[in-house]
Amino acid sequence: MHGNLPHSEPISELGLRIFSRIGATRPSAFSLNSWATKLMTWSMKDPRFKVNLFRLVDVLPQLTSSGSVASHVREYLREDLGRIGSFGLGFLGALAQWGLDGAPHSLRAKLVASQVKLSVERMARLFIAGEHPQDALDALRSLRRQGLCFTVDLLGEFCVSEQEAEQYLGRYIEALDVIGAASRVWPERHSIIKGHPGEKSPLCVSVKLTALYSQCGVLNFKRSVDILSERLSMIVRKTRSFDAQVYVDAEDTGNNPIVYEVFEKVFGSSEFKDVPYPGIVIQAYAKGAKDVVTRLIAFAQKRGTPIAVRLVKGAYWDQETILSAQNGWESPLFTHKQSSDANFELLTRQLMDNATDVLPAIGSHNIRSLAHACTYAELIGLDRKRFEIQVLYGMAEPIAQAFRDEGHLVRMYVPLGDLLIGMGYLVRRLLENTSNESFLRHTFFDASQSARLLAEPQFHQEDLVELENPHRPTLSQKCA
Amino acid sequence: MPTAKPFSNEPLTDFTISKNRDEFSAALRRLDQQLIKGPLEAAPLVSGVVRSEGVKFERVDPSNAVTLVGRVTFSSSALADTAVQGLRYSLSSWESTPVATRAAALRKAAALMRERKHYLSAMLVREAGKSWREADGDVAEAIDFCDYYADEAERVLTVRQTMEVPGEDNVYFYQPRGVCAVIAPWNFPLAIACGMTVAALVCGNTVALKPAEQTSVIAYELVRILFEAGIPPTALAFLPGIGEEVGRTLVEHPLVDMVVFTGSKAVGLEIIRSCSEVRPGQANIKKVVAELGGKNAIIVDSDADLDEAIKGILASAFGFSGQKCSACSRVIAVGASYEPLMTRLQAAAADLIVGPASEPSTLIGPIIDQESQQRIIATIDRAEQEQRLLFRGSAPSEGYFAPPAIFRDVDIENSLWTEEVFGPVVACTQARDFSDALDLANRSKYALTGGVFSRSPQNLERARREFRVGNLYLNRGCTGALVCRQPFGGFRMSGVGSKAGGPDYLLQFLEPRTVTENMLRRGFAP
Repeated sequence: MHGNLPHSEPISELGLRIFSRIGATRPSAFSLNSWATKLMTWSMKDPRFKVNLFRLVDVLPQLTSSGSVASHVREYLREDLGRIGSFGLGFLGALAQWGLDGAPHSLRAKLVASQVKLSVERMARLFIAGEHPQDALDALRSLRRQGLCFTVDLLGEFCVSEQEAEQYLGRYIEALDVIGAASRVWPERHSIIKGHPGEKSPLCVSVKLTALYSQCGVLNFKRSVDILSERLSMIVRKTRSFDAQVYVDAEDTGNNPIVYEVFEKVFGSSEFKDVPYPGIVIQAYAKGAKDVVTRLIAFAQKRGTPIAVRLVKGAYWDQETILSAQNGWESPLFTHKQSSDANFELLTRQLMDNATDVLPAIGSHNIRSLAHACTYAELIGLDRKRFEIQVLYGMAEPIAQAFRDEGHLVRMYVPLGDLLIGMGYLVRRLLENTSNESFLRHTFFDASQSARLLAEPQFHQEDLVELENPHRPTLSQKCA
Repeated sequence: MPTAKPFSNEPLTDFTISKNRDEFSAALRRLDQQLIKGPLEAAPLVSGVVRSEGVKFERVDPSNAVTLVGRVTFSSSALADTAVQGLRYSLSSWESTPVATRAAALRKAAALMRERKHYLSAMLVREAGKSWREADGDVAEAIDFCDYYADEAERVLTVRQTMEVPGEDNVYFYQPRGVCAVIAPWNFPLAIACGMTVAALVCGNTVALKPAEQTSVIAYELVRILFEAGIPPTALAFLPGIGEEVGRTLVEHPLVDMVVFTGSKAVGLEIIRSCSEVRPGQANIKKVVAELGGKNAIIVDSDADLDEAIKGILASAFGFSGQKCSACSRVIAVGASYEPLMTRLQAAAADLIVGPASEPSTLIGPIIDQESQQRIIATIDRAEQEQRLLFRGSAPSEGYFAPPAIFRDVDIENSLWTEEVFGPVVACTQARDFSDALDLANRSKYALTGGVFSRSPQNLERARREFRVGNLYLNRGCTGALVCRQPFGGFRMSGVGSKAGGPDYLLQFLEPRTVTENMLRRGFAP
């Protein structure tokens, strides 16, 4: 029975139950009655507006004077607002038009500018829990009070120098100290699910490795692995003193061989061999993902202490697909989203079949993907203590709550950091929320389609052909 | 004649795949084993005959200044003269070879280079001091030039009717210019030597190729590949040697009809002057295509994404140690972006890996030779006296290394701002606003490449119109033009001639002719 797809009825049954639990509740990103929500709604209707809006969002935190905010808002949105105004923006549209028609340094332009900047900041706060660890303590505690656990990520998209890499490392150490110390006295520190290996301590962090070394790259492979292992070890030593769990995030295909190598080097070392459940991430959109899972299971067996594996679809699809096309390389990722979904289920079963060596952490906002995982676990008799569900902060609270209510451990991935650093993350989240293929968008905007949303995903024929006849070495071969 | 498939660029090697890294390493090892036995030989090739008598030149690996990479026999002026006479003689047979045959030879050469890619790259690593990625890009570009100019020749060299007129036949077509002297630089020793040579050849010209002294070995390899691919030895002579001797002989030779040059402004202008003189026995007014220097600026707007800007500046300024005509040597930051940019740029530059070119992790390799190294170091030393140093890196003491250097608040009248250094040296200044930045950028005797990092749609639009350079890059670095995708070349003192790897390039190697026939005889026409 192992490895086989469970019957579709129990998956649909659970899925529909989740949909009914969600009912009319909306994640905060879709529920704020504000400019931000309106802007997102319009951008779903109008692709050109969406590009301009997201480009504006990307540049806003860099702009220091209200005059330059006003001129950028005007440059990016004026035409679109004029157009959109005609199909019913009402007061907001009129206000924007009125503001932007003035000179960029006029008072009314500045008024609109500050309103826009404020809205974007508020929008960012939906996905980013705070600038500093101290700012996020309340939010983190409130999650636990709701019966949800968390993993903290410090936003740091790109570092150009060792100075910046060391600052980033320092931020991790500081965050662990601050949240670690505070959480020791939280009444909410008791386990949400007793005996779940992810609940040894409320504290869990996710680390983006490449931001810890400025010269990280495959042509600098050995040094990248050595330096990153050293820096990751410093973080792990700190997590150990709080019994905290640590996840190493996956990145783009170019850097992932380094990421996996560092993970195995650090957690296979004599110092950290016995660290329980160190986490690593698998991206289901990668054609080579299955081989990486196999390699990680073998690593966990060799290590003798189990690891945690977060399974996600993957967040760099656009970037990697575009760069591959520009370079004339075959894309390392599936071309069709449905194939990533199908692969996700395949990998879910592979992980759950090996739950003695790995703790599967199913990271998705797709109710079908999550329902499939829970149903499969039940089918093979995998206890709820032996896996968990992970979702992004601010993206899918109703889904998280519904699965919590079903008795599952749900962990939220909570980013911290200032807006300037966080914009890349915010824009990715906005794209995810508004894309045509976004499960969230469909879940919360046209939930009437629940049956379609719960259908079994199939590999697209084109991707299947490529998977069977790989022209390109798989990811795990690349790691060799 | 339509070609089978549209042109596409030769992909750069994907080094994220470990197999590719291993293969590159293996090619480098193979070359190194050869070098243990002795340096690679190169010698003049005239009518396909190796002429190994003459002055010898020894080329060492600039990464260590010790390993002997090449032993080159230099051509004499007399041999160059003999070669030109032979090329004149064989012109008619090469010219009358069908275009399809000539183009096929180029495509075959591309295929041969593709097959030996990493080995050719390894030669570039050792002879020119190119890092892995730079060497790989050089080879890919050479392949592109062959494929692209093969397609272009078939497109351009078709006889066309000019207009439909009753009783009259008007056709327009091209003939080659004649004997071309190609004088190649050392900084893209395979790609540029190859591009200039095959462009001339595919148009039916015969070619005397004089490579840069420092990179004769890779050029010799190129010529042998071209012969193997079907270029007749009578159509192409290889004349390594001293510019002042062999180069001068070629430029002044009355039987040379065209000079194609890439190199310094001083030499380029001298060639143009010399070619304007008509010498006894000269049939044609000489055509000169000269691609010269640059003092290229990147503008960082006040709203720029500094992560991206820093990445772009470092790659453009320090890739191949700044020894590219397209390299960024001036940075102009608008208003409030200046201070944070300086701070982060200084820290970022300090961490770049300077080392031998053969190490895969190296970002900044050596300088081409000792003379250039000393000139660059002297320039940095002098600038340190006159201008405010932001950063001066360290460099290995063995080999011909120069430290990367960045200066800030540079006086725009100072030679550091106005003159091309052709090394890893960047001058920075602050602009009041975007207009001021454009003005500073344009105020240069060169106009080759430029870059703008901005997130203002209006300023980007202005830059398109007002930043007057041959190749402008928005929100990316200003080096790495690709054949066909970004036809390359500049104006002002950056050169005469149209863009390499572009649709107008081959026309420079051709003389257009028009033939009109009156079809009306005895009152009727076909």
